[in-house]
Amino acid sequence: MGGTAIVKALDKVIAKGRKIAAHLLEAADTDIEFKDGKFSIAGTDRSIPFAQIALTAYVPHNYPLDKLEPGLNENAFYDPANFTFPAGTYICEVEVDPGTGQVRIDRWTAVDDFGNIVNPMIVEGQVHGGLAQGIGQALLEGCVYDQETGQLLTASYMDYAMPRADDLPSFTVATTCTPCTHNPLGVKGCGEAGAIGAPPALISAICDATGARDIAMPASPHRVWQAMQQPKAA
Amino acid sequence: MHPFELHKAASAGDAAALIVGKADGKYLAGGQSLIAAMKLRLNAPSDLIDLAAASDLKGIKSDGKTVTIGAMTTHADVAASADVQKAIPALAALAGDIGDRQIRNVGTIGGALANNDPAADYPAAVLGLGATVHTNKRAIHADEFFRGMYETALESGELITAVSFPVPQRAAYLKFKNPASRFAIIGVLAAQTPAGARVAVTGGGSGVFRVADMERALAANWSAAAITHVKVPASGLSSDLHGSAEYRAHLVGVLAQRAVAAAA
Repeated sequence: MGGTAIVKALDKVIAKGRKIAAHLLEAADTDIEFKDGKFSIAGTDRSIPFAQIALTAYVPHNYPLDKLEPGLNENAFYDPANFTFPAGTYICEVEVDPGTGQVRIDRWTAVDDFGNIVNPMIVEGQVHGGLAQGIGQALLEGCVYDQETGQLLTASYMDYAMPRADDLPSFTVATTCTPCTHNPLGVKGCGEAGAIGAPPALISAICDATGARDIAMPASPHRVWQAMQQPKAA
Repeated sequence: MHPFELHKAASAGDAAALIVGKADGKYLAGGQSLIAAMKLRLNAPSDLIDLAAASDLKGIKSDGKTVTIGAMTTHADVAASADVQKAIPALAALAGDIGDRQIRNVGTIGGALANNDPAADYPAAVLGLGATVHTNKRAIHADEFFRGMYETALESGELITAVSFPVPQRAAYLKFKNPASRFAIIGVLAAQTPAGARVAVTGGGSGVFRVADMERALAANWSAAAITHVKVPASGLSSDLHGSAEYRAHLVGVLAQRAVAAAA
């Protein structure tokens, strides 16, 4: 959403920049085009770079002050026409120690479709972070209250198991691209993907490994071991 | 933390003298348990006798039959010691997996034993290897040293100076870690010592204990198969949010078999 709002605000900036360029180039603003960072008279090689337009806007010596305020400062609002629909597939392979119920994640592959990607490094980081949170929820984290007193028992990290680097495997992360059809950037949300896809992938893998039908989160070694003591699902 | 007086001891003798006459004096070793307890106001000594400068309490000696470790030797130093790695590799490995790197650089064997946390690793090593705790007053064998959760045979003012471990024929320690604190939910040290087979368990809740039935079976036949039938009763073990007593009892069996198999 932020990206498209920025695009719309920039559209207004460029529109104003055209008027400033038209004044400096002594042409009609309908004859001005903006391309590759320059405002130019269409069909000619007379052009002015964006930086000079911006300078002129704030140091308006040669400027149509009677028609245009100085400055290059625009607001835009964006209310999306619809949700975006990022999608993905996660595959998780686990090893469960039958003697203790300990789960070790052997491999993890995450493929997501976020539409067009503006910054691939940040997007990969978003997925890594989401995976850590989702795995934390499924495997480690949980608030526990004493049933009789209401006292919080998991009151520090000595009892509340935050995921650490050695709890997690190296992730294989990839993307496919189906651009979103209703915003100019063709982008989709990516920040929550890891946290949404990870818990079901992990719990499904543990159930597959143990024959349990379901295991409540977090799938602590104690819980997994208890599930394995039940008769297996048919 | 409540206010306290800090005294710096230059030696073991100095420390023992400094603690005399204090309203509620405690020796400060690595502080990894004591300082944390004081911050939570669970412990409020009037005086701390800091042992950091007492160089006669540090050091590791090995003569092939016995490894002697000074009370103020850090876990990191025990883990890295070529002498310990050669004579009792299980002990070096145990020390190298206590807490985390920061804790191992500061925590000490003397402090760990005097504190006797029911989930600590060193008590399993000392009891499982049949070691002797040396103090400024006497020598206390492992079988007499541990008296229950946070309780030891140490008298008021008594200072641990060193721990001597008879070199075992073979030994291994396995710890099943609490996923949050990485303390032992259950930890088992199995050893074939000059005094016979020994199996020590930590994490059960009321302090480290031996499993006589396993020791008897292992004396006849050192193998995991020899102890598969031995069940530890759940009734003596604790239940908490990380595991029920039944789970702990089960883990004792699993870890003991694996430790016996791992002991070369």
